[in-house]
Order: sequence, then C-alpha cells, then structure tokens
Amino acid sequence: MMIMINTTILSWVTFIYFVAFVCYFISAIRHTNLWGRVASVTVLVGLVAHTVGLIIRWVESYKMGIGHAPLSNFYESLIFFSWTIVLLYVVFEWRIKHRSLGVFVVPMAFLAMAFASLSPNINSRIQPLIPALQSNWLTSHVMTCFMGYAAFAIAFGLGCMYLLKSLDRNPAESSKSFLRYLPSSDSLDELIYQSVVLGFVFLSLGIITGSIWAHYAWGSYWSWDPKETWSLITWLIYAAMLHSRFVRGWRGKRMAVLAIIGFAAVIFTYLGVNYLPGLHSYLQS
Amino acid sequence: MKSFFSSVKLTLALLIVIALAAVLGTVIPQQEAADTFTSRLSPGMVSVFQKLQLFDIYHSVWFMILMGLLSINLIVCSLNRLPASWKLFRGKSVLDEYDVFRDLPPEQTIMSERTRSDEASRLEGILKKNYRRVERKEAQKGVFLTGEKGNASYLGVYVIHFSILVILTGMIVGFFFGFDAYVSVAEGQSVDTVELKGGKGFKKLDFAVRCDRFTVEYYEDGTPKAYRSELTFTRNGNTIHQGAVLVNHPATVEGVRFYQASYGTVPSGDALIVVRKGRDRTHVMRIGAGQEFDLPGKEGRAKIIRVEGNFMRMGPAVKMQIQSAKRDVQFWVFQNIDEMEAAHPGLKEQVPIFDPGLFNPYVFSLITIQPRHYTGLQVNRDPGVPIVIGGSFLLVSGFMFVFFYSHRRVWIGVAQEGAKTKISIAGRSNKDRVGLDREISRLIGEIRKTGS
Ligand code: HEM
Repeated sequence: MMIMINTTILSWVTFIYFVAFVCYFISAIRHTNLWGRVASVTVLVGLVAHTVGLIIRWVESYKMGIGHAPLSNFYESLIFFSWTIVLLYVVFEWRIKHRSLGVFVVPMAFLAMAFASLSPNINSRIQPLIPALQSNWLTSHVMTCFMGYAAFAIAFGLGCMYLLKSLDRNPAESSKSFLRYLPSSDSLDELIYQSVVLGFVFLSLGIITGSIWAHYAWGSYWSWDPKETWSLITWLIYAAMLHSRFVRGWRGKRMAVLAIIGFAAVIFTYLGVNYLPGLHSYLQS
Repeated sequence: MKSFFSSVKLTLALLIVIALAAVLGTVIPQQEAADTFTSRLSPGMVSVFQKLQLFDIYHSVWFMILMGLLSINLIVCSLNRLPASWKLFRGKSVLDEYDVFRDLPPEQTIMSERTRSDEASRLEGILKKNYRRVERKEAQKGVFLTGEKGNASYLGVYVIHFSILVILTGMIVGFFFGFDAYVSVAEGQSVDTVELKGGKGFKKLDFAVRCDRFTVEYYEDGTPKAYRSELTFTRNGNTIHQGAVLVNHPATVEGVRFYQASYGTVPSGDALIVVRKGRDRTHVMRIGAGQEFDLPGKEGRAKIIRVEGNFMRMGPAVKMQIQSAKRDVQFWVFQNIDEMEAAHPGLKEQVPIFDPGLFNPYVFSLITIQPRHYTGLQVNRDPGVPIVIGGSFLLVSGFMFVFFYSHRRVWIGVAQEGAKTKISIAGRSNKDRVGLDREISRLIGEIRKTGS
C-alpha cells in the first residue's frame, strides 16, 4: 500500500501541534505575549493543514472508488476528534482572549494525532465502507458526537485549570507565577459551564442521530449496546452536573471535579467500550 | 410525600443510580450473552443474580421503578414550579424607577443636543427594531423606555422536561404494542411466521414474505459491499409489496419493518438441470430438493428427492422421482455421467438407477449444483417510534430556548439635564451577563451612530 499524501500531511500536523503546545507553555511560564502570538499562529497553521489533510483524504477515497467522509474507522475518528478539539479551542481562544487554555487543550489534540499515527494497531488506510456504515446518518452522527466530545475535552482542560488555580493561596500577591497567568476562578467557572452546555447539546444531538441511524441499520433505535449505554451514562452525568448547578447552585471546585469525571466517562465511551463486545466494535479495525 | 417527589436531591440521586445501573449492565453479560457467563458462577450466585434480575437489568422491574420515580419526580417538580415561571413569562416589568440607572458605568450614559421628546421617539424606534416588547412611560424625571425579549426562555426547561416524558412514553408504547422478531427465509421460500426474540414464541403475520433472491456484492479487496434481499410480500397469493432490502434500507409493509440482519446457505443447494425430450424440446431449470414440476409434454410430474454435492464420491448428483399414469420411477442424475460411463462402459445398463434417461423419451442432465442462500431478516413493529422522534425534536428545541436564549430587558431613560438631554441605558438578564453586556454596547453604538 502506497503512503498517501494525506497521512504525510497529518503527521506534519501532529508535529505542528506539538510545537504550538511548547509555545503556549513557554508563553504561560514567561508571561510573554510574543510566544503567545507565535503559539496562536502555529496552532492556526496546524488547523488549516489539518483541514486540508482531511479534505485530501476525502478526495482520495473518491479516487479509489470507495468515496466516503473520513469518519469511518478508528484512525479517522481520532484524526477528526483532534480536529474538532483544535477548532473549538481556536474559537474559545478568540472569544475569551486568553491563551493559557492552550497549555491544557492543545496537548490533547496532539496526543490524539500521535496515537493515531504511531500506534501499530491502528490502520491508517482508507477502507471501503462496510454495509452497516453506508448511511447518511453516519456523518451527522459522528460529527455531532465528536463536537460534543471536544467541548467536554475543553471543559476538562478548564476544570484542571480551575483546580490548579485553587492551589494559589494568596491571589492578591502580584508574583509572576504560572498560576497568576490563568484566568480568574470566576471566569473559569463560567467557561466550564458554557463548554459543558455546548458539549451536552451536541452529545444529545449525537445520541439522537445515532438512534435514528440504528433505527435504519439495526431495526431498533435503542438496543442497549455498550457504546449506546455508555453515551447515556455520560449524558446522565452531565445532566446531573447541570442540575446541581441550575437548581442547587453548585459552583467552582465541585463543577471542576465533575467536568473531569464527566470527561473520564467520555473517554470510556470513546475508547474503553471498544474492549466490550457490541455493534460498535467495528472501531477496533 | 410531595416534598420528597419535588426535591432536586431525588433527581440527582436517581440520575446517578440509573447511571450506575447502566454501568452494571455493561459489565454483567445481559440476556443471551449471560448463558456462557452463568456457567462460571456457582448455582447460589446464579439464583441471587436471577432474583435481582441482573441478567436483564434494562428490562427489570427495579429499573422500571427507577424510571417511574424519575418521571414522577419530573412531573411533580414541573407542576410545582410552573406557576412561578408562568408569571415570569407573562410578567411585565414593574420597575419604572430611576433606580435601575443608579451606579451606571459612565459609558452607559450619553449626552445629546436634541430635545427630550425627539430623542425619546428616536430611541423608541431603535428599541422597537431590537425588542419584541417595547413600552414607553412618561415619568417625573423624563421618558422611560423598556425593551424586552426572550421571556420564552423561562419555559424552555418545561419543554425539555416534557420532551423527556414524551420519549419515555414512546419507549413504553413500543414495549407494549410492538414486537421484535427474526426469521430466515431461503431463496424461493415463503414464510408468514416469525420467531419473537428472547424465546417468547412465534408470531403469525397478516401476510407472507418470500425471498426471491439474495446476493452479496464485494469490493475489489474482498470486503463485503452490500447484502441484498429481493423480497415479495403476498397475501392470499396477491402481491402487496415488492422490493429489495439492504442494510440501512429496510422495507416497511403495513407497519412491520424488515431489516437485513444476516444470511447463510441452505445445506443442499439448488440443481441446475436440463430436460430433453428426443431432439427437439430442451428445458433448463433451477430447482431445489423437495420441489416438483410438470414434464414439458405433461406426460408426468417430476420431483427432486435429494440434492447431493458429492454422491458416493462420484461428484454432484440429484435423485429424481417421476410419476405418470403408467409408471413411477426413481433414478439418479450425475453431473459427471459421461466420465463415469467412459470409465465403466455399460454402466447404465448394469445399474439402471444411474440412467438419466430411464424415463424415456426424456433425458435429464445435471449442469451444476448452485448454493442456495437464505436471508436472515429482523422483523419489527414499533408504534412508539414517531413519539420518540417527536420527543427528540422537542428536546432539541427546548435546548435552544434554555441555552441559547435568555430573557433580556433594557431600560432607557431620557431626561433633561441643563440645556442637554441625558440618555441612560441599563439592562438585566436572567442569565448570560456577558451576552447582555455585548448587546448593550451594540445598542449604545447604534444610538451614537444614528444620533450624530
Ligand atoms: C434526565 C431527565 C431529567 C430529569 C429527571 C430532570 C428533573 C429536574 C427536576 C426535578 C428539576 C427541578 C424542578 C424545579 O425545581 O424546577 C429540574 C430542573 C431543571 N432542569 Fe431538569 N431534568 C432532566 C433533564 C434535564 C435536561 C436534559 C435539562 C437540560 C439541560 C434540564 C434542565 C433543567 C433546568 C435548567 C432546571 C432548572 C429549572 C429552574 O431553575 O427553574 N433538565 N430538572
């Protein structure tokens, strides 16, 4: 099998994200705007290259006569996951005008890419769609799910930032520490909430589109297959988290911890479940 | 009792317990999968597990009770809170004091050269463009304008909660009025009875389904591309529906859906035979074991008794029976009869039962034996589906109201201050402070731009 141009581009993207992460890190430690700007430009370059790589992969699949959106196996899902994380991250950075989040979120995108490229068990070839995946609902299902996962990944990064920030004993002191560079606890709390809401809406859409697809493919919109069940578990955790905030007024540290627990459930839904038998285990390619 | 059911602590507890039950269901093998698992447990454990319905958690009584409690919680809670939210939704702003402009940041006041009444009508116009509800009040200190929108966001929560009840209702309807079954149909066969899943017996349909053909298509690399069953649905011999069923493309007949689920080959297969009478008449047909046909000249009726892939190690063969008014004969038709005769001259005379021309003047020959497929169809009826889909739509629209929409009120005071007119702008939102701030700066921008 010849090496496809898209996989070459995508391995460069992996490297670019690593560089971006290093720049964010330096900028956070030294409080210099210059490094921050370099980091932002690098991550944008990475995102553009990533997008181009995905499009080329899409086009290549059509040239092979088995055209489909690059969302059909484990390799492609990791690449797409990474793409949604960076896309959402760029939107968040632009909206909150703060770069420290990059230290926590960009490495996740890098790790997903690196795992996809380097793991010997992951097949990066473009494969034809097996009959069960030949559905227009596949694209909407995978896209909404991964938008949700990415929003939860950002909430996770923010949750870690919040917990780190709360280590800062006397915030009034004007030292130039890394913790001082992070946004205020209040705005972190608000951002955690916003990203969880975004993730929750997308996860709900993902579950709904997935059910519609299952209705066509397997004859039942809900069959308690492990992946379905775990996405419901994740949904319930975040629903509980939102209610504890809406109605019981939980804020701050508890929300940060719940954002981390919720993301653990997301990761299990995405990766852990593949080691249980079920309809979705095609991802083990 | 009511306070128990209206407590949000109960909601949180139920959400967590249901999540834990769901986790348990992915760890303990469920339903059919449990059979191999039970053999590894002691009999005592198995009976404990069975009593607790741990092998079918999602259909267990206690899981249903949890869902029931969740629904009651939801209903009681919503009924409790609805009147208050309704007031907020309908409620007009009672604030008309200049209180709202106290401690206003300097950028939220503008000094204008125009007269008070000019500004008031100009600003009213701007508000009307941006807000659903605009009021104007002449107060002592000046004109007081109110713009309001997004009251519906108070009701979004009820839409969400109601949609969850709708979805649960749809699931219950499906559970009680639907069925879930499986049937396998060999090519050429017609069935009208399907096997219910979970060992719940059989169900007779109002019509029959016949499989005309089953095919598998492959990609170049050998992975399957499409599984396709061509089906005909009949009632009393009349075709009521005909079409192909593929994975992701089920067929619906009178509310019953047929899904491509599996396939396989029937052990014996179909024989492709040629029937010849003398020189002139030849007939080719594909036929399976147990099937019959009339001889071309109506001299008798032929039946295939057996189809063998390799009979007595002499290759493919079929055993035929021919019944006619005069006689009733049985004989074998070998695919390799010519080679057999070459190796054993006089074979047909010595072993008449190996003579494919025993019923003269007819001669039969076997071209080949083709494997015959059966298609495995999943057969479902679920009248709850439209309800679940409706509930999902409601859920998503409820999200829009709750998360992307907020109640916003903006007040503009227009007062005389010396020779100038002072415009003050304040606002309030039930959530989304950031969005409101952005909206106010946009309004101020608009006021300044059109005012100069
Ligand atoms: C899983 C099923 C759900 C149950 C059992 C449930 C139950 C409840 C209950 C009992 C309350 C308290 C009622 C009250 O005091 O007004 C509540 C409030 C609330 N729920 Fe849910 N809920 C569910 C799903 C959701 C979802 C999916 C959302 C959307 C994210 C949501 C959003 C809210 C909000 C915003 C409130 C606060 C209402 C207020 O403050 O007036 N709920 N929920």
